[in-house]
Amino acid sequence: MAACIQRLDRAMFSIRLLRNVQLHNERSLSTSLHRLALDTEQPSKFTPPVKPVIIDKTQSVASLRKFLSPEFVPPRQRTKPIKFTIERKDMIRRRKVLNIPEFYVGSILAVTMTDPHATGKNNRFVGICIQRGGRGLGATFVLRNIIDNQGVEICYEMYSPRVQQIEVLKLEKRLDDNLMYLRDALPEFCTVDTDMKPQPSSPTGEVPVNKTRVRMLPKPWSKRWERPKYDVKGIRFDLCLSPEQMENAQKWAQPWVEYDMLKEYDTSKLEEDIYTELQQEAAAAAK
Amino acid sequence: MAAWTSRFLLLRVPCFAALRTRGASESPVLALGCVRTLKNTTWFEEHLTEDNQKYMRKSINEEYRRQTAEKLNPLKDEPWPRHEWTEGSRRVGLVAVKLGMVPVWTKAGERHVVTMLQVTDMAPLFQCCGWRSGWIVVSGWLCVSLSFCWLQRSEETMEMFRIAGVPPKQKVTTFKVSDNAIIKPGTPLYAAHFRPGQFVDITAKTIGKGFQGVMKRYGFRGQPASHGHTKTHRRPGASGPGGDPAKVFKGKKMPGQMGNYFDTAHGLKVWRVNTKSNVLYVHGSVPGHKNCLLKVRDTILPRRSSSLLNPPFPTFFSEEEGDLEEDLYDQDMFVYSEPSLTLAE
Repeated sequence: MAACIQRLDRAMFSIRLLRNVQLHNERSLSTSLHRLALDTEQPSKFTPPVKPVIIDKTQSVASLRKFLSPEFVPPRQRTKPIKFTIERKDMIRRRKVLNIPEFYVGSILAVTMTDPHATGKNNRFVGICIQRGGRGLGATFVLRNIIDNQGVEICYEMYSPRVQQIEVLKLEKRLDDNLMYLRDALPEFCTVDTDMKPQPSSPTGEVPVNKTRVRMLPKPWSKRWERPKYDVKGIRFDLCLSPEQMENAQKWAQPWVEYDMLKEYDTSKLEEDIYTELQQEAAAAAK
Repeated sequence: MAAWTSRFLLLRVPCFAALRTRGASESPVLALGCVRTLKNTTWFEEHLTEDNQKYMRKSINEEYRRQTAEKLNPLKDEPWPRHEWTEGSRRVGLVAVKLGMVPVWTKAGERHVVTMLQVTDMAPLFQCCGWRSGWIVVSGWLCVSLSFCWLQRSEETMEMFRIAGVPPKQKVTTFKVSDNAIIKPGTPLYAAHFRPGQFVDITAKTIGKGFQGVMKRYGFRGQPASHGHTKTHRRPGASGPGGDPAKVFKGKKMPGQMGNYFDTAHGLKVWRVNTKSNVLYVHGSVPGHKNCLLKVRDTILPRRSSSLLNPPFPTFFSEEEGDLEEDLYDQDMFVYSEPSLTLAE
């Protein structure tokens, strides 16, 4: 105990020293206006510069990277386009009230939701996003975490008025677009600390890809993930399946499907149009 | 009527031998070919250039717009007398197109699904007299945008539209209305005819499933797949008692045609009305496939008819009520521009 207190004292002393050195440096460099501000806020001088930096980064993430949320792209069907136009208007109106940030399957999110059964009427859940689904106003995403050794998944509706806040704690992608196989993986791969602090991410450039490949529980699994139709890259099959089994799974391969021209759906132009529409809306809202 | 026609084609056959003999003269040899075609329809654009087609479409659109405007001109034609809403009056209904389904949320945070129905270019055609109360023939969904259906319509049909002074429409249907709710032919009908909070009945043709067995059609259980069962897996089993009645009762559920008949969904709540693009948001699912035409009218359910208090009668007139808001919401519905829901502890 005593040793601890001694060390703490030493640490505090060194921090104080550092702060003084910093203060002197700042004072020698700063302009008159800044000096006034510094003089009034001397004790909490070291912490404030950190906070604005985080806020700036989150703001610039949205502005610098070109990102269109996948639920804006209408599915390929014979619905009249006016349905999607009207739906998009509602989505934009909801997004003006609730900030729905850019995130991907594999990112770690925290969602605060109104819950009539929770104490305090609010429920905050932290987990890894394992799936995004739905189009338009019915868009959803699934968060998974392990709480008290029990796997928990919650499917959130993105445009539900009960959603209070969506935070991205860690922005990253994984090797796959659907991480449902985490249900059959060792629990450590989807365990997230519930008190996690948001990690700053770079506002520009590519989103970092987390290349973790998970170890699976012994079979049976909820799906036969080794089958080619799932096209899973994030599982270490070499640890759980024999080469014969992997070869056997290739019987279900459909190599001709990728050449099926009827299944092609090029959304690049659609996405471009919707993106410009959203930009115009944002510009009009800013005015 | 199918007719055999033949189309003569000038075929360009590059004949290299001829070219070689002629040297530098580069004119390909023309050959006469014949393609036999079986035709039973003609299209208006068949012998028109693209510019002419465009011109036709444009001029016809203008003509229709002029007709509608002329019909509404009070100087040319007196508006018909209007009556007050009374208990038990039946208003005219609408023809709408099914767009698809979306979720809505209430102010308590409950989620419902609704069907979006679009109303376009609706107008009453004429009144035909029933023996007790008035029937009104209403047409909807102007056919200009699809293709020039009117060129394929019979002369009698076109005469009907000409007398009413209404542009030709794709769908003509009748609604039974009370005598005080008769509307002048040619009055445009809008989605604001229905108001949020009221209940409607929707009639449409269900999706056809063809001739189906009892398992799919009525949800019978069928028989086990194994344990000695042969040739009896999806069959209905016994069809009734033997001996005493010695017959199969009428209405016995049996295999047969499933779907592709007119069905009505009763008592569906209107959650929201978009007056700008004329879209109705109606609770739950409605019969019919996507983009099908359906009839929407005030509900006949006695308990739900109390929701119809003081509706626009006999219909919504845009020039009288002025500009409504773009969206009319039910009082329980969550509006997306409001902040997120919070519950008091």
